[in-house]
Amino acid sequence: MGTKSPSYHPFPEAEMNRYIRQTTLPQVGESGQQKLLNSRVLVIGAGGLGCAVLPYLAAAGVGTIGIIDGDQIEESNLHRQVLYTPDQLGFYKAYEAAASISKNNPKVEVLVYKEFLTSKNAQEIFPTYDLIIDATDNLFIRYVINDTCLEFGKPFVYGSIHQFQGQVSVFNYEGGPSYRDIFPQENQSVPNCAEAGVLGTTVGLIGMLQANEAIKIILGIGEVLSGKLLIYDLLQNTQQVFEFGKVSSPKKPDISVSFDMILAEEALNGDSILLDVREIGEEPEVSFSNTLQIPLSVLERESEKLDPKIEFRIFCQSGIRSRSAAELLSKKGFQNLKLIRGGANDLLQLIDT
Amino acid sequence: MIQVKYFGIIAEAAQCESENIAEENMTLSKVLSDLTSRHSLGEYNFQIAVNRKIVSNLSEQLLEDGDEIAFLPPFSGG
Repeated sequence: MGTKSPSYHPFPEAEMNRYIRQTTLPQVGESGQQKLLNSRVLVIGAGGLGCAVLPYLAAAGVGTIGIIDGDQIEESNLHRQVLYTPDQLGFYKAYEAAASISKNNPKVEVLVYKEFLTSKNAQEIFPTYDLIIDATDNLFIRYVINDTCLEFGKPFVYGSIHQFQGQVSVFNYEGGPSYRDIFPQENQSVPNCAEAGVLGTTVGLIGMLQANEAIKIILGIGEVLSGKLLIYDLLQNTQQVFEFGKVSSPKKPDISVSFDMILAEEALNGDSILLDVREIGEEPEVSFSNTLQIPLSVLERESEKLDPKIEFRIFCQSGIRSRSAAELLSKKGFQNLKLIRGGANDLLQLIDT
Repeated sequence: MIQVKYFGIIAEAAQCESENIAEENMTLSKVLSDLTSRHSLGEYNFQIAVNRKIVSNLSEQLLEDGDEIAFLPPFSGG
C-alpha cells in the first residue's frame, strides 16, 4: 500500500488488547496491525456482499472505511443483508451500515456517501482510498469501477454471485490484469440477485473472501487472487481457480458512459416523463399519467418525436434495457436521462403501499 | 474424452453443469462452435478456459484426451 503519515499513534496499550488475537499471528504482528489502522478502504455497495465485508474490515481495525450506496433497506433484503433489522425498512443502507460497524469498532473512521456510484463521483472519491471493494450487484458499474481504478492505480477486489456460485478476483493489483482482461464486453445481459435468487450464506461467504483478500493486500501476506478467478460452488463445496493474463488491447477503452440512477420513490417526485422501454403487454403494467411506453425495439425510430432537452426517467423490468435505451438516447443528443432502480416492480410497490 | 464445465447462467442454458465429449483431435474453435450451437449459447457472454487457463483468442489449438474446457460467464449478483 502507499506510504502515508500514520493517522494513529503507534499502538496505544488499550488498543493492543482489542487486536491481540490477530497480532499474535506472526504474519500480522504489531506492524501489520499498524498497516491495517493506516489503511483506507472504499466499499461500493452495502447490500449482501457489503454486509459481509464491512463488519470484518471494521472489526479487524481497517482505519478508514468508505461506504457508498444510495439504496434503501427493503424487507426482501433482510434474509441476506444481515446488518439490518425490520425497524430500519426504508432507511438508507449506507448510514445504517456505518452505524452498525461503528458500534463494533468506534475507533474506525467511517465515511458515508449516500449516493449510487457514477463515473463522475468515482473520479472524486477513489483517489482518497488505497483499495476498492466491489460489492455491487450491477454489471455495468463494474466497468466504471475498473476503469477508474486503472486511471488512479488502485487495486480492486471483485466478488459476485450467481445463485449458489460466487466469483472472487483481485484486479489491477501491482500491474496485474484488470476486469476488462477477462470480460471485455460491456453489452451483455446477466441476471442479478433479484432475478436469479440467492441464499444469504452464499453472498456472506463470498463477501468474507473479499474482506480476506483486502486484508491480505493491506498486510502484504499470502497469495492474492491477482490474475486468478476463483469460482466457489456452495452446493457442491468445490472451488476452482482459473488463471488469466493481461490482454493487449489496441486502444484504451473509453470510460463507461454512466447515468444517474434514482430510486423509484424519487422518480415519482415531479412530473418528468417516466419512459417505459419494455415491450407492449409486459407485466406488470405501469400506467401513471406521466408514463410513456416506447419499447426499446422501436426507440431508435420513435426517438425522433421526442424532445432531447427534457428529462426522461427510464425503466424496464431489471435495468438492462433501460440502460441500453439511455445509451441509445444519449448518442442522439438527449442529455437529461435518469435510470430508475428496481424498474416496474419498485414503481408499483410504491403505489400499493 | 474431454470434460466440459458450465458455470452460472451458462449451466442453466446448457441444462447441465458438466458433460464429457469424445472429440479428441479436434480444434478448440470447432468444439466451441458445436457446443455453442447445440446449447444455444450464442446470446451469452462468456470466457473459455482450457485446463484452468483462460484463452484470450480461440485458436486452432488441438484438444487432447483429458483436457478440460470451462465456460465462464461474468456473474452480477450481490
